[in-house]
Amino acid sequence: MNLFEKIFNHQIISRLEDSGTFMVTSHERTWLKTMLEHHPAAAEAFTLDTLNKLRTILEPDPLMDTSSHLIEKARSMEKQVYHPLLRTLRQHILNKSGVRLTYAIKSGRVNSEQSGVPYKLEYSMVKREWYLLWYHFRHRTFMITRLKKIHSVRAEPIEPSMADGIFRKIGRMLDSRKSEAVIEIVRDYNEELSRILYAFSSFEKDVEYDSDNDTYTVRVCLLGDEFEYLLSKIRFLGKRVRVVEGDYLKRRMLEASTKALERYGVISEGEELSS
Amino acid sequence: MAKESFDKEIQFLRMLVLTSGAFSRQQFAERLGISVHTFDKTIRRLKDVISSMHQHLPQEQSAELSETIRFSYYDSTDPLLLFLFRAKSVKESESQRISLLLAAMNEQALTTMELLDMCCDSLPSGLPLPDEKTIRSDLKYLEEVGVILKEPGPRPYRYRIQDDLVRSLSEEELIDLYDFVDVMANTQVPSVQGYLLRDGLKKHLLRGEFEQHAIEPFLYKYHYYSRILDEAHLFTLLHAIRHRRRVRFLYFSPKSEKSYASKNTNPLFERDTAGKAQKTLPLKIVYDHQYGRWYLLSHGREGIRKYRMEGITQIEEDESVDEAWYEEKKNELEEKLRYSWLIDTGKPVTVRVRFYNPGDSEPNFVKERVLLQGQWGQIVLEDEYSFIYEITVNGTTEIKPWLRSFGSSCEVLEPIRFRREMIAEWKEIKSYYESV
Repeated sequence: MNLFEKIFNHQIISRLEDSGTFMVTSHERTWLKTMLEHHPAAAEAFTLDTLNKLRTILEPDPLMDTSSHLIEKARSMEKQVYHPLLRTLRQHILNKSGVRLTYAIKSGRVNSEQSGVPYKLEYSMVKREWYLLWYHFRHRTFMITRLKKIHSVRAEPIEPSMADGIFRKIGRMLDSRKSEAVIEIVRDYNEELSRILYAFSSFEKDVEYDSDNDTYTVRVCLLGDEFEYLLSKIRFLGKRVRVVEGDYLKRRMLEASTKALERYGVISEGEELSS
Repeated sequence: MAKESFDKEIQFLRMLVLTSGAFSRQQFAERLGISVHTFDKTIRRLKDVISSMHQHLPQEQSAELSETIRFSYYDSTDPLLLFLFRAKSVKESESQRISLLLAAMNEQALTTMELLDMCCDSLPSGLPLPDEKTIRSDLKYLEEVGVILKEPGPRPYRYRIQDDLVRSLSEEELIDLYDFVDVMANTQVPSVQGYLLRDGLKKHLLRGEFEQHAIEPFLYKYHYYSRILDEAHLFTLLHAIRHRRRVRFLYFSPKSEKSYASKNTNPLFERDTAGKAQKTLPLKIVYDHQYGRWYLLSHGREGIRKYRMEGITQIEEDESVDEAWYEEKKNELEEKLRYSWLIDTGKPVTVRVRFYNPGDSEPNFVKERVLLQGQWGQIVLEDEYSFIYEITVNGTTEIKPWLRSFGSSCEVLEPIRFRREMIAEWKEIKSYYESV
């Protein structure tokens, strides 16, 4: 299997697009067949009818044997790739429909029949779970709710123009919540630059290089609810990185290291380390 | 025909994605071990590919490529780096001809001669007209990659496009298929073929009644989207594994400053490269979810060898080896990897850790995360405030960052040497922030 096929060439693809031709190679069908055969998500993603249809279409294509030669390490347990509500909610997004949701919140309390507009469905690669991003009419807020916390959902018609307005509003809300942190790679660890940058590659970021001091800094752009994850990444990298801008992050790192040393009994509570 | 190598483009894009705008042209070229002239040429070529694939992107000459491919979470879930796999060079006349052929077979099944006539009528003037032999070899190629099929029946054979995947599904089923492909390409490996398929389906749906918003309902948080660059080598290596063949390549350890060396035939321009010629027998590929990186594990003269996929260039297959011996080596490696947190094949050691539950009112996110990411480790003891987690791993180096990421919710108990290391690291980290 060669991923650099002539047929994938960009000029051919854009010409096919102009003529409205759909083109699919056996490479792609083989991949699809493998995903359908090897993954339990297939049963959640299609009706039985569609699944049978797909299997018939893909019958002449071979399966990939990648899994017998590939080992995946440090993988989170895959609780679910599909959620039973995914298709339903996706339909509502497609139809620009409003929804009425009944869902549980952190305290265990249940909020019944809340009106809103579904915006997007988000899968966290870390938690391996689906979330609904939506707009809550009465509170006029942007909400993030785990699919597994949703008890029921039903469609509630709204004007399509209203949905468009709300999507724009959500865009503005998200933009206004963006903030930045600057993290310096401690120069002694420049050798490990590639690994450190890989660790930050799941964030929106810019890298700066100061050639006079041979120092790299990473400017991470993130939303408020992403600070916890960024902190776990910074702790993950340990001595290799230092927060240089972002008071909240700095304070949290000081707290984490002080508390950790207390756990180890190296310093007693409230005591400062004498260097 | 020389096989086109994409090493330069891959290294180029990787550096661009990882260092997003940190370097000047000069610095960038130096680190890749190429001239500034080659740097400019490569940028132009990549920009051409991008602009034909993504008409919506800003196309002023001044737009920096790094800006163009800067990862922006809410904008679009199209994996921009996919354009790497669209970069194979094809002659203008050939790309025109192949597109014409496919468009013609899209409407009806046609014979070679009918296709030849059609081509001669529709090719823009100035392009060489194809002969029967050319058309036959085009059809053979298209049949090989599974894009068209020969209809059953007597000669002369008729060919039609093989698009049952979209032709026999209803609109609703197509949406289900597109969603499934999107979810699987983003959450599973390998994924390049999935992304290519997603691309085709998406364009097909957008030709219908669908809006952009309806077509992109899913987001994937904390996803290592640059991982697809290394899939470029994956299938070459899988082929070698399947046929028990050794491979040769030029390897750049990621710790070296240079990540690519141009092949200079002119001795005047020959320079010392930091790359090392390697010959080795591939046994297994490892994908590391912690960093979104790929490794090749192989058998070399000194036993097990480990290579980072990102450092491999100019890869070529070599001779094959005996089956029984190969199986033996593979089993030995599998046995050694059983307790690797990632790829460490050192001596197994038992690590004991105490995790502290968060305060009363909160859900126990510490335990949730340990159960989710703790691989084969076990919780062996629990009380109201904490729990003990035990795992046997090859060495403590690879598990250490994961344990450290828990901050003060985690206390290493054993081995005692490991405990001391953790204390020393926390002291140092604390010193970074004491003057806050």
